[in-house]
Amino acid sequence: MGSILSTFGSLAIGGIVASATIVGVVSSQTSPSGESPANVNQPVIQYGSEG
Amino acid sequence: MSDWRGWLPRAWSLALALLLLGPALGPGLLLTYDMVWVPDLAVRPDVWGVGSGLPRAVPSDAVVAVLDEVVPGMLLQKMVLLGALVAAGLGARRLVPDRSLAAQLVAVTVYQWNPFVAERLAIGHWPVLVGYAVLPWVLLAGRRWRETGALPAALLVLVPLGSLSASAGVATAVALLAAAAGRRRTGPVVLLALAANLPWLVTGALHAADARTDAAGAELFALGPDGVLPPPLAALALGGVWNGEVVLPSRDGAAAWLGLALLVGLAVLGARAWRRRADGRDVVALVVCWAVGLALALLTWAAPGLVAALAEHVPGGGLVRDGSRLLVLCAPLVAVLAGCGAGAVLRRVPERTPRLVLGGVLALLPVTLLPDAALGLSGRLEPTTFPASYAAARDAVDGAGPGDVLALPLSSYRQPSWNHDRKVLDPLGRHLPRDVVASDELVVSDVTVEGEDPRVEEAAAALAAGAPGERAERLAAMGIGVVAVDRLAPGEAPAVAGRVLLDTDELLVVEVAGAQARTVPTSWTVAAAAAWVVWVGLPLAGAAVALRRRRDRSLGNAARA
Repeated sequence: MGSILSTFGSLAIGGIVASATIVGVVSSQTSPSGESPANVNQPVIQYGSEG
Repeated sequence: MSDWRGWLPRAWSLALALLLLGPALGPGLLLTYDMVWVPDLAVRPDVWGVGSGLPRAVPSDAVVAVLDEVVPGMLLQKMVLLGALVAAGLGARRLVPDRSLAAQLVAVTVYQWNPFVAERLAIGHWPVLVGYAVLPWVLLAGRRWRETGALPAALLVLVPLGSLSASAGVATAVALLAAAAGRRRTGPVVLLALAANLPWLVTGALHAADARTDAAGAELFALGPDGVLPPPLAALALGGVWNGEVVLPSRDGAAAWLGLALLVGLAVLGARAWRRRADGRDVVALVVCWAVGLALALLTWAAPGLVAALAEHVPGGGLVRDGSRLLVLCAPLVAVLAGCGAGAVLRRVPERTPRLVLGGVLALLPVTLLPDAALGLSGRLEPTTFPASYAAARDAVDGAGPGDVLALPLSSYRQPSWNHDRKVLDPLGRHLPRDVVASDELVVSDVTVEGEDPRVEEAAAALAAGAPGERAERLAAMGIGVVAVDRLAPGEAPAVAGRVLLDTDELLVVEVAGAQARTVPTSWTVAAAAAWVVWVGLPLAGAAVALRRRRDRSLGNAARA
């Protein structure tokens, strides 16, 4: 009985993690990641900004 | 180990690398922040480190400039990125003493799929990633050196390959010392590390009179938070790049905390098993690397004033100012402990199916918790094609009179629409066949970090002169024969009198009359040439040693038969 439960339990966890991975990857691809075009009026393009 | 068990980690590593790079492997060149590849980088004085600016891309530029004479730049870039990621994962796998499949798969994923790799890809530090890939192999070859007493030929290739930039070279040298120093090896180890770093050491010393590192950079480039993780915890999770723009959105959520907790949990569980199975000196080597990397990264966060003073007063001190870059040294231990931790967890699961599933889950979790690294960091790594004007500018400059090129506007970064509005270090200069004087001033969070090339200041003063004719005269006097203007970049580009060689929507190229070509001092040429001969000699010597050993083994086998 314990063996069956642990097998099904592990398969459920595996399924959840696999699904979460796929959903995470797909949803991150559909969210906007582009940068705004450079503003020609700004004096300089910055290398970056502190986190 | 059966065949499929041997091949599965390799296939997994390749699959992860393909998933991570995604569109970056498509047609075109990937231009992102400091990663500026062009179809054909010219073999010109500054790639050897004898241009007027500090040799910041030595020896990586020279390697690319020479190799892209044989392999097109576009293909070479993809080979480097894909090869580095796969080599990194497979090296981490070899470092894990636990031979269970799950332990190896977890080590591969943790080493290949983490904030450090994603952030360094985004900011374009490809020589750092090559060094990152080489690091586990240097540690393994160092072990072989200790065991056999003979210098492994592979180290003569690996150490220069891991030293394609100054900071990567320092990390590789630390790993080599940690893994191989001791007894009669210390002298050769130090010599090998020095020889592999000689090009940037020598050419950097040639520019020492002009070199000045702005103290402002120490605070700006220090170890920072990684999304929600504060800097010290970010460092434990291999994150904390100074530039918040390259941190993935998933680091702002609970996944960052969960990932850190799982990583620390696995490391604690794996530490005991690792100490039991691993060679004592391997333990010391990995712990030393981790401690040095973490300590230096934390120093940049805790004491930026001290790092600024180092950068200002100690030659080469500026190398440590990018705090999270030094975490490259922490990654091997983190991956090994995570792998051993996974092995320890799975040994407590008696039944086969749950063990298999749990092993798969642990190997997949780094991807689950950093999903936006997939497919080229969610589309951030998108290759592009240079406008036709760039090739025309190259031809125009090729046919112009003597003198270097001045790139205008005098600013470092561009965000051209043809690069999907993504930031990149001005790519025009690298497209041209001559040395280019271009601004090396950096602006971060509205703070300006002063540049280091004295000719840029001279050019700025010339451009401030009253009329186009006077500007041209002053530029010619300082050895500028061509002015190339990027019309899409914000900033001023004062008119300079001269013959227009190219005039398009994107670029304007003007020939300045009367310039003399800048001559490289003979002493510089001799010193730099000697450094390069030593550097190139290392892999050649490695190949010769490997061939001789193979021949000796063949002769030995034949004699025994």
